[in-house]
This record gives sequence, structure tokens and C-alpha cells, in this order.
Amino acid sequence: MAKNFDFLGRDVVSIRDFKRDQLEHVFESVDALEKKPKSLDAGLQGKMVALLFFEPSTRTYSSFQIAAENLGLKVSGFSNVAASSVSKGETLYDTIKMFEGYETDCFVIRHSMMGSARFAAEATDVPVINAGDGSREHPTQAMVDLYSIRRDFGKLDGLKIGVLGDLKYGRTASSLAYALSNYDVEICFIAPDALQIRPEVELFLNQRGTRFSRETSLATVANTLDVLYVTRIQKERIPDPTEYERVRGLYQVNLETLREAKPSLKVFHPLPRVDELASEIDGTEFARYFNQAAVGLPLRMALLNMVIGGAD
Amino acid sequence: MQEKDPEKGMLVRKIEEGTVVDHIPDWKAQTVSKVLRLDKLARMQSEISVAILQNVDSKTLARKDVIKIDRWHVDEKEADILSLIFPGITVNYINEWKVSKYSSKVPDTIEGRIKCPEVNCISNSGREPVVSKFVTLKRDRLLQCHYCDTTVEFERIPDLVSA
Repeated sequence: MAKNFDFLGRDVVSIRDFKRDQLEHVFESVDALEKKPKSLDAGLQGKMVALLFFEPSTRTYSSFQIAAENLGLKVSGFSNVAASSVSKGETLYDTIKMFEGYETDCFVIRHSMMGSARFAAEATDVPVINAGDGSREHPTQAMVDLYSIRRDFGKLDGLKIGVLGDLKYGRTASSLAYALSNYDVEICFIAPDALQIRPEVELFLNQRGTRFSRETSLATVANTLDVLYVTRIQKERIPDPTEYERVRGLYQVNLETLREAKPSLKVFHPLPRVDELASEIDGTEFARYFNQAAVGLPLRMALLNMVIGGAD
Repeated sequence: MQEKDPEKGMLVRKIEEGTVVDHIPDWKAQTVSKVLRLDKLARMQSEISVAILQNVDSKTLARKDVIKIDRWHVDEKEADILSLIFPGITVNYINEWKVSKYSSKVPDTIEGRIKCPEVNCISNSGREPVVSKFVTLKRDRLLQCHYCDTTVEFERIPDLVSA
């Protein structure tokens, strides 16, 4: 049976749009890229990618920019709304139409409103890559996360993965959960009740038959996990400062928290971190987050090459 | 106070043209009125009359509500939305005194009639050229926003009907 690995012109709006074999295909392309020099003559000279970042970003913006430049693409757009026409009130739709007129070959969009990536993809025939839409999804980060875990363990099937932090508003947690549903894994969502994983994510996992549980304490499951994916609890999401202090303490990962963990546990984090992940972890065998961050570049190179250039 | 029709024993006379929404669960007629935006309709089109009957006798339900809308045919798409909330409801179209029962369909999608409850959804931006769109998940009795994925129980639809 023919497999749909043709990514040319394809939108990357939600990680749910990608099946296991398609994800594996992306990962194989990343494997191949990691063995090659930084820049790649992909025959994309003269093509252009527009990076429209309506929200601030360091890692995602930079990795897309460098990935595009390594592929020989021209880069346009903005990372600072204040310096763009958006600050004058220009809509997302108008911004897309304007860049479409410049013969853009791909949009990479980050926007604070949920569903903005889907809306953008429907507004243009040019492929749209979602670089984060509000608290909903961040599909390329999920690819980075999956690739990183898979590389460390040599597999994803059979792993028990704890996802900790602000799961309600954290887009990386949602996208990771969606992506993991393609594999035979067990997911443990660890968060205070007010910040637990959203109903639509649970609904999707139930539809896919993915095993998952909800926990309020890391301590109760720490010794059962193969992977711990830590996300930040955002202060602004918890109105009561006393409650924030309490919750923050409960969900801080440090050597004491991981005392009972399996020695083989690997800790991942989409970064940036604040104080939810103690720096004392950095020098241990647990820490994999900086290696994970480095995957962002080859993965986004591979994806841009497939979407704009139609690379296999 | 409504007068009884001595010939038919009905609270409200039969209508020649219009819609009768029947088998509404008792005391839920106001919810149906809200979904159909009947107050707005009657205000904007003076020839339309609306009779809301509450807690009346029923052969199939212990008690029920009924709404008669004189000289207005409820949009089939709105009838379909009603049937999501109240599966037992019947919508009858009246043409020249003849009654034809509408067989409601579960819509695959609902566009432009319901606001997404997520205020930060792009469909609520107010500035972008976007119309709300929901996908129906019948088995789970949920709608799911096409844009932001937020789910809404069918029972919450009346609170989210666009003005």
C-alpha cells in the first residue's frame, strides 16, 4: 500500500494530523540530517519562508530562522510585533495576505489566540507551520520531544511517561500527549487539579485507546516513570499568590524529588525553565533537556525541506 | 391568560402557516425560544406571533411544552441544533393547515450559530474574518470547536447561541 510521505505543501497545524509512520519518516530525515554538515544544498535557493511571530519566542524563532538559512531559504517576517504593522492593528488575515503577495513559500506562525494556526491555514494555499497557537498546540515541539525520547531509549513503545506542570495551558504538554497516542505508551499527567490536562485532550486519548492517568503528586509515581517531561507552572495562571507558592513547591523537580526515581529515568523540558527544574539536575544522568533543545534545529530543517522542497 | 378553543380543546388555535415545536420537555420552552432567538425574531418581524405553552398534557410525556410560531418556518439547521439538545423534540411545519413532520438530522458541523466558550479562540477575535465552526461528536454528546478544539456539552448550547 502506498504510504503518504509526501509533505510538499502540507500544513503542520496539529500533531494529530500525523500518523505514526509519518512521524517516523520525519525522524528518519532528522537522523540523516544529523550526520551531515550544518548547511544543506537542498535546491531551495530563491524560495522564501515568512516567520510571523505575533508572540515573543527565542528558541522556536531562532531555530526556524537558522534552519531556513541552512537550507538556503530567504527569511522574512518579524519576531517583534511592536516593530511590525501588527502594532498598528493589522489582523492576522491581512498579514498573511500581504506576505502571500510577496510569493512566500511557507508560513511559520506563532500567535496568542487559540486556533489561529487552523484559521491561517484556511486563509491561504501556502503551507502553514504552527509554531504555537495560544495554549493549544505546538506540533514541531512535539516532534522534537518525541524524537529526543526515541533517540535516548531507542523506542517509544512500552515507556511510561510522566508529564508534569501546567498541563491545562501548556501547549507543549497537549501536543506531546497527542503525539504519544501513536505509540503504545502509558502517560501519567501530574498537575494540581486546576491545571490538569484539558477535557479535549482526554477525549482524544480515550478515542485512541491510549492509557493515561491523572496524579496530583510526583512523589507517588516518581519510581515508576521512564521519562519525566517537566513544564513550567505559570504564575499568572494561579490568581492566589499563596496557592501559587504552595503549588510551585509541590511541582519542583530536584535531586530530592527524584530520590526514588529509577536510575534510568530521563528528564526532558521544552525550556525555558524558571525554577521548576533545579539546576542541580543538569550534571546528572537524568538531564536530557539541553540535548532535546539541540534537536530543534535539525528537526525544523528536515520539516522545512519536506514541506517546501518536497524532500523524501 | 390564554383562551381555550371550545371546539378543539386547545389552548391556542391551529395555525395556517408556520412551525409547531412539540414534545419539548416541560418548562424548557424558554430554552428552545432562546436557541431559536424567537424574541429577536418577533421584534424584527411584526407579522410573526409566538405562543409558548408550558406544562401541558401529553400523550407520550407526562407533561410537555409546546411552541407555536405563526407565519414563520424555523430554519432546518436550527431544528437540527434543537434536536441535539432535546432528542425527543418534534418540529412540524404547517403549510396551508397541513402538518408535515420534519425529520431532524444530526449535523456534522454547525457554523456561525454558536459562540466558542473559549474567549481566546480565534473565532472570538472580533477582528478576523472568521465564522465559528463546531464539529458534532454525537456519541459523546459534545461539540468541538474546529479552531481551538474546546468541547461543549450539547446541554450548554443554549448559553452559547450567537445573538
